Amino acid sequence: MNQSQDEAIEALLREQFEGPVFDDGFSDRVVQQLPPRRHRAVWPLWAGVLAGAGASWLGLLSAPLLHAGWQEWISGKPSASAIILVSAIAGMSLLACWWTTMEAEDH
Amino acid sequence: MADSAAEARIDQALVVRARLGDDPRAFEQLVRRHQGMVRAQLRHMLHGDHAAADDLAQESFLLAWRKLDQFRGDARFSTWLYRIAYTCFLQACRKKSLPLDRDDDTTKLLPAPAHALDLQVDMERAMRRLSGPEQTVLLHCVQLGLSHEEAAYVLTMPLGTVKTHATRGKAKLKAWLAAWHDVDEEQTP
Repeated sequence: MNQSQDEAIEALLREQFEGPVFDDGFSDRVVQQLPPRRHRAVWPLWAGVLAGAGASWLGLLSAPLLHAGWQEWISGKPSASAIILVSAIAGMSLLACWWTTMEAEDH
Repeated sequence: MADSAAEARIDQALVVRARLGDDPRAFEQLVRRHQGMVRAQLRHMLHGDHAAADDLAQESFLLAWRKLDQFRGDARFSTWLYRIAYTCFLQACRKKSLPLDRDDDTTKLLPAPAHALDLQVDMERAMRRLSGPEQTVLLHCVQLGLSHEEAAYVLTMPLGTVKTHATRGKAKLKAWLAAWHDVDEEQTP
């Protein structure tokens, strides 16, 4: 199909289309039906964060890994527990950075 | 193009007002700006059933109000609305077992207009003989003025499929309306 035939068919199609519908009170009816918008509550997120942090702290309190890792890192001995500790902190920081960046882009 | 960009900016500002300020008046303006085309889209897809189309249009706008936080501005607001309306249309088709698509083979059995009286009437008949996807793609790409990319977004179809349906649909229309072209040529000295 050449360009002029293509344009002729498109012109016919546009002619056939009746165009936008006149607002015969439709908008008013829609606005009357609008429910109040529900906002997502923020407190469950923060409650979850605090509960998770508390549980992690309690769980690690009795484990020697955290304490040993910290002591060895301070004394300049890169033991396995120190490397795990630093890797975990670095990983969580990167995840937090990525999440913050994505949220900033969305807004 | 500049008008279209300006319209998109106005829509974007109204969306921000409606979303941040919880301002139903801003959303009311959005409804007034777009109801005509959304209703036209649905009336066309429902083959002129105005009552059903208006019910679906109302449902679409209420859904848009509830989901306004999900509008990211990647597409134009009008395109986003078309997509919501098309989704509502598909859901209604599934619920009520409405004919979503027509099989090409059965549409080929429809009689072609033997004695055409009017080009417009013939055009309408030819459009009805197209398959469902071809009609839908031509509606969105030509009559509603969306780009192929926007139509692909609204209809959740791959871009290549949209282009194929558009080309095939136009080729079929050209073939079915070829008699008119011949008449025009005979009348032209």
